Amino acid sequence: MSVSASDRLAGVRAWLAGRALVLTALATAAVLVVMLYVPVGVVFSEALFVGDRLSIGNFRAVLTDPFYLGVLAPVFADPLAIGTHLGALVGWLASISVSLSPAFPWLALEVPDVRLGLFGFTAYQATLSTIASVVLGLPAAYVLANYEFRGRRTLRSLTILPFVLPGIMVAVGFYATFGRTGTLNSLLGLAGLGPYPFLGRYPLAVVIVAHAFYNAPLVARITVAAWESVDVRTVETARSLGASPRRAFRDVVVPQLLPAVLTGALLTFVFTFMTFPIVLALGGLQLATVEVWVYDRIRRLAFAEAATLAVLETIVTLSVTYAYLRYESAQAGMSRAASPPPREQLFPDVRTALTPRRLAILGYGVVAAIVFVGPLASLIVGSVTDGSGFTLRYYAFLLERQVEGASFQTRPWPAIRNSLLFGVATLAVALPMGVVISVLTARAGRLGTVVDALAMLPLAVSGIVFGIGLLQGLVFGIALPGGWRLQVTGAVAIVAAHAVAAYPFVTRNVSPLLADLDPAMVESARALGATRARALLDVELPLVASGVVAGAAFAFAISIGEFSSTVILAAGSETYTMPVAVERYLGRRPGPAIAMGTLLLVVTAASFVVVDRVGGRFERD
Amino acid sequence: MTDLALESVTKRYDGTTALESIDLEIRDGEFFTLVGPSGCGKTTTLRVIAGFEEPTEGTIRFDGRETTGVPPEERDVGVVFQSYALFPHMTVAENVGYGLRFRDPPEGTSEDERIAELLELVDLPGTEERAPTELSGGQQQRVALARALAPEPSLLLLDEPMSALDARLRESLRRQLKRIQSDLEITTVYVTHDQAEALAISDRVAVMSDGRIEQVGTPEEIYREPATRFVAEFVGDNNVFEGRVLERDGEGTSVDVDGDVFRLPPLETDADRLTFCVRPEALSRAVEANRLEVDVETSEFLGESVRVHGRRNGTPIVLRVSDPPTGETITVGFDPEAVHVVDG
Repeated sequence: MSVSASDRLAGVRAWLAGRALVLTALATAAVLVVMLYVPVGVVFSEALFVGDRLSIGNFRAVLTDPFYLGVLAPVFADPLAIGTHLGALVGWLASISVSLSPAFPWLALEVPDVRLGLFGFTAYQATLSTIASVVLGLPAAYVLANYEFRGRRTLRSLTILPFVLPGIMVAVGFYATFGRTGTLNSLLGLAGLGPYPFLGRYPLAVVIVAHAFYNAPLVARITVAAWESVDVRTVETARSLGASPRRAFRDVVVPQLLPAVLTGALLTFVFTFMTFPIVLALGGLQLATVEVWVYDRIRRLAFAEAATLAVLETIVTLSVTYAYLRYESAQAGMSRAASPPPREQLFPDVRTALTPRRLAILGYGVVAAIVFVGPLASLIVGSVTDGSGFTLRYYAFLLERQVEGASFQTRPWPAIRNSLLFGVATLAVALPMGVVISVLTARAGRLGTVVDALAMLPLAVSGIVFGIGLLQGLVFGIALPGGWRLQVTGAVAIVAAHAVAAYPFVTRNVSPLLADLDPAMVESARALGATRARALLDVELPLVASGVVAGAAFAFAISIGEFSSTVILAAGSETYTMPVAVERYLGRRPGPAIAMGTLLLVVTAASFVVVDRVGGRFERD
Repeated sequence: MTDLALESVTKRYDGTTALESIDLEIRDGEFFTLVGPSGCGKTTTLRVIAGFEEPTEGTIRFDGRETTGVPPEERDVGVVFQSYALFPHMTVAENVGYGLRFRDPPEGTSEDERIAELLELVDLPGTEERAPTELSGGQQQRVALARALAPEPSLLLLDEPMSALDARLRESLRRQLKRIQSDLEITTVYVTHDQAEALAISDRVAVMSDGRIEQVGTPEEIYREPATRFVAEFVGDNNVFEGRVLERDGEGTSVDVDGDVFRLPPLETDADRLTFCVRPEALSRAVEANRLEVDVETSEFLGESVRVHGRRNGTPIVLRVSDPPTGETITVGFDPEAVHVVDG
């Protein structure tokens, strides 16, 4: 008997079907290696090698330079001269003076200036941003977790939104609020005040508020989740044992919230340490953080220095992330509540609305509205007004540039088209990657944890680091044995960069739902004759559809808003996206930049509406 | 349809041994139950048979064919789980018909007819378009059974299918399952921790403990002639005595248990020490032989009888009596013939 060709084909097809999941997993691993680990490896080797030799020269140059390390530079330059360093420290401490301030009846502390250096300043602004985010985020968490009011669920869902808003767009929004012709000055102008150069005089303050715009909702979100998982019976038990409400809150609720608040604060620190578009757009080189400086070095083609800085930055953020993961695993499984505390009506009637507590909440609400709605509203308002009133000339400029602009100039339509195309392509790559990693890690035990950690690397590596890696590795090309060259350029490189940045969000949305599914469901499907991949398609995916859709929304939004690596990869080419266009306009023409930013807002909002209609929810808890 | 053999099947998970060299022969068309306390390895055994796990050592044969490396979807088994595991995004009909996407329904039957037939079989006709979540727990479990049976598997595997249901429902579902199984003559492996359920439903039972098989036999054999002390204590209420052999003669054996001397029938063993058990229903006030005094601790009214828990010289004793005891002690005796000797 002979096997016919069609039988053989059917056999091959069955073989493929049986191993579809494994094959997708291998493809995912290949993409990750080529597009994530190789670029990051390239950055490290650039920093670690001088010529062909392994050397710490690059690190020594950076660590001993007071420009980077400030007062710590001498310590790295001569680590054994402990006496000298202690002497310097004592001298500094001695010059702190405490005096009774004549203006205010309290003690004033005068601290002599400390040279922070680039890293010190980056950490300093990250610390201030973290404090601001926690201060702004905790009241929101308190209100969302403890009061019931119309729109509470929506508001709770919206706390995820700032996280995926394009950084450059938010930066332009703040520019439109605090700039010389911004909405704040317009409002003050109505009262006959100003204009004040807020941005010129207090750029750091504006940057910190912008960081709080991003991270306060994150802090609120994580804390609300913890607050809602507090089992009300633990509070009731404490009360029955004799604790007052206040005491029960302190002894029972606070310890359960603290890990969440700390988590939010640490994440905020990491994110703001790696901040890039906001500082670039609002502060420029005068407020340079490590990330901005790395970008500047790349533009000046000082790759070794850029790579060294990038590696040092990554070491800082990875150690913070690692410390956080250690802490989180120590906390894991501490509480999983069945019955969350009941919520009070926020405004049951008019009379109670006037209690001090309600008034404080109201006041907070006004501040929150200014910080969160203000910049976005200013963006829209700023795009149709100039100092003297309503105008459409910024949009007219964009139109004109589109029609008449030279090919080397940045035109709006290619930017919009590229953003949308890259967004869709990112979805096509990031969704399967993210889902496969979720499936592999959902129930794989210890090995799953390792895969999970490796796959989550993009969250801890900044876009700039990743951008240089891609540029130096894949765009310039890597020589392979046998005369081959691995080279990935243009749109493909950008989509790959976006997909690698986006898939962790797919995984983060899908994994919890997948882990909650009854494993017997998949086993039933398999016993009934479905292959593993078929069971995934027939059973698991439909049941975690909301997570997949939410992950898709994130992936798309990340792609639309991605700036750091795109700006590097799109340099001098036609593959610029909307955020890159915004940044290019911002330098010389703030008006059109604001108009372009508004378009970006419209596209981002539209994509969220579409996803929401398709049946997703941005919520996952 | 199919007979099943496990040959020295061992399953280890990093360091811990879940199954220790299991040997089992399950006959064609038999209702076979694995029973034991939680963690004894009964569910692991079922999962190894289904192909969800591969044994670390040993082989499993379906009709003599080795199954090593065969994925679950190619084993032709139907599985029912305690959690029902119905697909919540599919209707009842889609659930029952899911297996027919991969295996054709029997000759001359359409898919829809097969689904209707199965729902009829489990006594849920006309529920095709309902969502599984609208059904009660017992109904969901019957849908899960119909789904497992629809592609005519050669082996039916049930993992604690009734543990999530209340007692009365469990009994009626148990009768229904038994009827369906004997009508279809399908080889069935049933896993439960409930020894009463195991005795009630099975053709044969394997009692498991700590990853090993303690005894395999019919429910009567398991109940009347437990092979080990573990089986004696696990299956039904029992009183286990340990004693020293004082003397043997043609008519019987005298055993000293903590100072009381009991007369047992002649025994084949010539060991010095003996472990034997006496069922509570054999301990009676009316029997004059082998009297023992029990300090009453609690009594439970069960309807047809009263179960009395007490102690004799500190060891727990359980009795079945018709009327609640009145005094603080109760004296009962047992017939030498009621004694069953087990391996220590």
